[in-house]
Amino acid sequence: MRSNRLLPLFMLFLGLGLLSACGGGGGGGGNSGSSSSSCSTPAAIALPNGSSVTQAPANNVMTLTVNGSTCSAAFNAEYPDKPCVSVTICDGSGNNCQLIDDILLDTGDNGLRIFRQVLNSGLLSALENGSNPYECVEYGDGSTVWGQVATARVTLGNEAPVPVPIQVIGSLTSDAKSGGGHWCTSQLTSVNNAGYNGSLGLGVFAQDCGLACQNNPLNQLYFTCNGVTCSEISMATNNQVANPVASLTTDKNGVIVSLPTVPSTGAASASGYVILGIGTQANNIPSGVTAYGVNGSNHFGSFTTTFNGGVDQGFLDTGSNGIFFNYSTTKTSDGNFYAPSCTLSLSATNTGYSNAPNQGAVPFQIADANTLFGSGNNVFFNLGGPIPDNEFDWGLPFFLGRNVYIGIENTSSTINSVPVTGPFWAY
Amino acid sequence: MKRKDRVIWIFLTLLTVALGSGSALATLGGSADSVESDRQMLSAVQHSVTPSGAYTVHEMAYNGTTVREYVSPQGIVFAIAWNGSRSPDLTTLLGSYANEYENARQNTPHRPGVRHSSIKADDVVVERWGQVNNLQGRAYAPSLIPTGVTTDEIK
Repeated sequence: MRSNRLLPLFMLFLGLGLLSACGGGGGGGGNSGSSSSSCSTPAAIALPNGSSVTQAPANNVMTLTVNGSTCSAAFNAEYPDKPCVSVTICDGSGNNCQLIDDILLDTGDNGLRIFRQVLNSGLLSALENGSNPYECVEYGDGSTVWGQVATARVTLGNEAPVPVPIQVIGSLTSDAKSGGGHWCTSQLTSVNNAGYNGSLGLGVFAQDCGLACQNNPLNQLYFTCNGVTCSEISMATNNQVANPVASLTTDKNGVIVSLPTVPSTGAASASGYVILGIGTQANNIPSGVTAYGVNGSNHFGSFTTTFNGGVDQGFLDTGSNGIFFNYSTTKTSDGNFYAPSCTLSLSATNTGYSNAPNQGAVPFQIADANTLFGSGNNVFFNLGGPIPDNEFDWGLPFFLGRNVYIGIENTSSTINSVPVTGPFWAY
Repeated sequence: MKRKDRVIWIFLTLLTVALGSGSALATLGGSADSVESDRQMLSAVQHSVTPSGAYTVHEMAYNGTTVREYVSPQGIVFAIAWNGSRSPDLTTLLGSYANEYENARQNTPHRPGVRHSSIKADDVVVERWGQVNNLQGRAYAPSLIPTGVTTDEIK
């Protein structure tokens, strides 16, 4: 059924083919990684935002930089295309408050996770308690974070603080592995290990697991620990690590991630905003964007991305620092990124889920990552890398030059005069 | 549907308890016999066996994760692929390759932001990608892949 519906799309894309500045992009490539003079300069991609974006200060505006002032400079070399915000965290009573920067903006996750080592002792002792539930979160690369779940009061921008369960990463007193399970191997145990102080998941969901963890005790996500022995538990949605935006009073239906364009050779940093709420204040009224519905049934959130004849689960993830997809071209020696001898000009089509079933092509470029990294810059719109199949990961490069609206599940927003119920993305 | 799921759930829980976590799956490099016994034990689970020319794919689903085992004409599991809300226990699935993989993993630096990984040891390759709650991966032993089969087919 689904494949039948997508068949015309297939045909369209077989017809459109793929454009490459070198001509023919599917070759497997064996060229040296450096750009040669035989490469033609690809046409610039038209994007909504110019080289800077500005927002007047307001209670719902958060400063967002990519490798800029809100990020720790220490990690720039190993972590290009890293978007950071600052967040104020207090204990559940509103005391022991602390402003923490170098928080990764992660639209591929939901909820706030902070390494315990960056918390002041008063805040840490107020949050940590051996009777708290524990959580293990696994990312796409197989790395995990482990730690207690505790309620904190979180301040986004100048909004009123909201009480939400957060994860304190790195609680050492217990470990799911000790329970005899295989859970939570490959842990990121420190700030140096992870490359950030914490992560703020502002995705399309109100909690990080949803009904699956409420209904199924064998969810492999939430645990209870007795000493060093841990076992899985069900977790009511109200007690799960939560997207703090969903708890705001007015601006709770989503966020806008607004970033400028950068040159094709990159930029040292980029400065933009996270604007809280969609159509709730004068500064967040949608304009010139199309909504794409997200399939929320499995609680990861994806739409359909069609590329090169394949149909993938596509998603918008600021926590991925490249556009990761399946393509045949030269890679960097570590295999993490693409390094084509000539910049590739490609196009994929995103198709929204039934709550906003729009369809639109997204042109994008992939440059030689070795050349990009060699520039000394940190922010690139044309950085990509390989994954085997099935998914199309629109990472941070997708967000550069765009205002991306992230609509939270079970809330309503108006996009182009049409009410849309989240989860959705609009850009 | 719901009722059937619940029955399967209970069955699997009991099975897991009885066998120890993860041991109901065949291992990379293992024989088809182990897959066959798994198939019989897991017959209550959504499961398929798909002949595909040069190999056979045995698919089994448990607790939100689907595991596919690729068996060569010689009856050897040469590759394993998975997807689901959580990753399966690789220590079990990789069998005799588990230590080699673990050593290679520890020697491969974590690159923050790169939300995919490819760990290459001498005799086994493990690749992972995906997003939170939607994790994908595959593992294969290059020397065991039948002639004419490409890694693109393992997914």
